[in-house]
Amino acid sequence: MNVGSLAPASIRAELAAAGLALNIPPITARLRSPLAFLADQIHSLYRDYEFVQSDAYADIDIRMLPVNGLRRWAGRQVQFVVDGVTPFEPFPLEHALPMFEWGLNWVVSHRLHGHLLLHCAVAARNGHAVLFPAWPGSGKSTLSAALACSGWRFLSDEYGIVALDDARLLPFVRPVALKNDSIDVMRAFAPEAFIGPVFPKTRKGTVAHLRPPEESVRRGNDSVVATSIVFPDFQRGEGTSVKRVPSAAAFLKLAGNAFNYEVVGEPAFRAVAMLVRSCSAWILRYGDLAAARAALDDILHEEVR
Amino acid sequence: MRRYIFRGTSFRLPHVAFHADIHWRIPTGQRVVFEDFDDGIVAFDALVGSTHLLDVTAAEALAIIEAEPGLVAPAIHARLLERLGVGAESIPLAAVDELLWRLEDLNLIAGFI
Repeated sequence: MNVGSLAPASIRAELAAAGLALNIPPITARLRSPLAFLADQIHSLYRDYEFVQSDAYADIDIRMLPVNGLRRWAGRQVQFVVDGVTPFEPFPLEHALPMFEWGLNWVVSHRLHGHLLLHCAVAARNGHAVLFPAWPGSGKSTLSAALACSGWRFLSDEYGIVALDDARLLPFVRPVALKNDSIDVMRAFAPEAFIGPVFPKTRKGTVAHLRPPEESVRRGNDSVVATSIVFPDFQRGEGTSVKRVPSAAAFLKLAGNAFNYEVVGEPAFRAVAMLVRSCSAWILRYGDLAAARAALDDILHEEVR
Repeated sequence: MRRYIFRGTSFRLPHVAFHADIHWRIPTGQRVVFEDFDDGIVAFDALVGSTHLLDVTAAEALAIIEAEPGLVAPAIHARLLERLGVGAESIPLAAVDELLWRLEDLNLIAGFI
């Protein structure tokens, strides 16, 4: 049963009571909150996600709670509570959705150590999956959103979840967090895409979330084999260039990009080696999304040959 | 994570002991695993989880020390030349001594007298 099949009022009631256990492969996250506006935003952005019985097992239990006590004097705020722990200072109440999204990312990066977690976007086309490893600000979320709106299968804008035994990539399909100028860029690039409310003045600037394509959500349990590693390098106003990266250099760039490489240890080293051996690696410098998409088509064409 | 490429030619300050007096081995509990690529050899220090990019000379030196713990620099030098099929003019003993100290800096090998 999908979230979108419930009426908004039902979602509000579920969140305020036992919670809504969202199936976001490879995890299930239960969300509870009395905040009606958050329920409505979840209803819109997670429309195509399945949920399970509220009393079913969930890997992560999250509550988004209005803060009581002295903090109320600092303005209305919201607290992120995961499994009874509050790892962050409260956010302004109206930033509940960005806080939920960041908090869930934080939990995943701190707990999913049965896999190698790469900081990267992942998208696939015609059976060819591409990793886009990059640190914040390099444009990987915007690029992956653009690909998602261009017929590519979207797997993640933030995480490459790599199985340690065979280096297959597990999707982690979530709303794409667009920041600052990227919001208008995506509105222009894909006017048909659904973008949720805009949150100005968050800790990461202005943020809005793009709803992932329904087909990508539906295939959330289908792992893929990576065939290319593309290090995106967005340079406003620059032309497009593609440069091959030798394997050992790609290894170091990829391993250095992981959240938990040192934590996982030797299995992570082996997984990175498997990825590098099975993929071609490139640096893609681009100044606009259409040019980047065309360059990626060329890279995939090269793979096919 | 650290990464190093052993292609430099700089030399360390003189050591307390002459290189011929120092025997080299892999530290106790240490295990280094390798992945060989066209543009270099990536080594993983399984003890501390660090990763290093080595050239073939460094990787061969490590392999020699692992296979024959306790060798001194001249002996390692001789085996390196044999393994790589090059003469002493290509890799002087001083360069191997420098390399050994760099590997020691990374805790990949340890010296004892």
